[in-house]
Amino acid sequence: MNSPVKIWRNQKHIAALLGREGKIVSWTIVRVPPTGFSSLAPYPVVIIEFSDGKRITAQLADLPSGRQAGQMDLVGMKVRVVVRRVCDPPTEGIIPYGVKVKPCLPAGRHL
Amino acid sequence: MKVYITGAATTKFGELWSASPRSLAREAVTNALKDAKLSVKYIQALFVGNMLSGMLGGQEHLGAFFAEELGLSVAAFKIEGACASGGLALHNAINSVLSGQYDTVVALGVEKMTDHKPEDVATALMGAGSDEERAAGATFPGLYACLARAHMQAFGTTEEDMAAVAVKNHFHASLNPNAQFHSSITIEQVMRSSKIADPLKLLDCSPISDGAAAVIVTNKLGTGLPAGKAGNRVQILASTVATDTLGLAQRENLTELKATKEAGKKAFHIAGVSPKDIDVAEVHDCFTIAEILAMEDLGFCKKGKVGTLKHLVVNPSGGLKGCGHPVGATGIKQVVEIVDQLRGRAGARQVKNARVGLTHNVGGSGATAVVHILKI
Repeated sequence: MNSPVKIWRNQKHIAALLGREGKIVSWTIVRVPPTGFSSLAPYPVVIIEFSDGKRITAQLADLPSGRQAGQMDLVGMKVRVVVRRVCDPPTEGIIPYGVKVKPCLPAGRHL
Repeated sequence: MKVYITGAATTKFGELWSASPRSLAREAVTNALKDAKLSVKYIQALFVGNMLSGMLGGQEHLGAFFAEELGLSVAAFKIEGACASGGLALHNAINSVLSGQYDTVVALGVEKMTDHKPEDVATALMGAGSDEERAAGATFPGLYACLARAHMQAFGTTEEDMAAVAVKNHFHASLNPNAQFHSSITIEQVMRSSKIADPLKLLDCSPISDGAAAVIVTNKLGTGLPAGKAGNRVQILASTVATDTLGLAQRENLTELKATKEAGKKAFHIAGVSPKDIDVAEVHDCFTIAEILAMEDLGFCKKGKVGTLKHLVVNPSGGLKGCGHPVGATGIKQVVEIVDQLRGRAGARQVKNARVGLTHNVGGSGATAVVHILKI
């Protein structure tokens, strides 16, 4: 995941997704994370569907904590694709950026 | 051409800290050869199913690696297809015999997982997923949890329905001396176990395991080679493979595994049997929801109706949940269990009068499915 060339090559794909909005069709809370994600766990991983029917898997960011997300049904929640650091950065090498999604909320409203 | 399995064996599955991949493979193949009453000198090719030896053990080149261990200098291959590696190894072994290239070959499945930290195993297993899923921090329990959630939404499936699969498979495992777990569990215990990836809990998940399994595949029967007595042979009626998108989100439908449906449909057609003819099945229950999906998608029952199934015994070995899931070995172990059942030598877990059996092996979150149908 941390090859600089691979991250550079993926930029076009990421740019095409940024700002797109969709809704959550299925979700989970990952409580036993893979290497590099332990500082984020527990965190929600969601499958979202855009209006054209295309779906992606992404991490849901900007919820106060994964624990809180586990207590509400996320199906149907509207979300927007944003750029984020995807996991804990290695001690050497580049910081891995990619996409996550965050809730679309009316201005001034917080979860 | 008819192709048979004349020898079949598995090692014990579990946390086998004193066993190495070499010793596991040697034990499984030696016992499969003994079962077939066959000398290793008749083996013309070796097909090894394995997923993680490179990422976890730093060892690739497994064809030559295990051929050396077995004292063979024949054609040898590693076949990788995530948790379907074992099933794919057998599919290729069968095709190599059907092609006329070889008469007698070994399909071996082997995996060593418990030497490594759980997060390293979780990361290595995600090698079976897509870039997008890895960047999301998804895990295999997480992906199957998304399938479970979609199934619950569409058909009203409950967490207790899923728990019942684990309870049944632990009961079966308690009757299998080679299984990783020998303890019966209750629905309450499953429901109370810690959450891994909501709604899946610890006891919905198959464990991390070590183990190996091997079968002897041959077209020689009563033609001079000691390839097994009549009565000990099991005929392979069908061996099919289908694939789907690597990533879960890109599938047409989140409430079914299309690869299972297609491999199943093709296998029943080639074998000339229907789901009603199957007496015993080993299906891929890496998570409890996966067994429910398998039974529906193979055509044993309608969507959301798996609880009404009565006519066959599913996962008598204990399945991946109870018997253990050394990922590359699982697809071969399922076939060993069906061979034992059809030969009537399955001991306390014997299914009475089993004549036709099916195995179903899945790779990733359903990107690969392998189905075998066997009869005595």
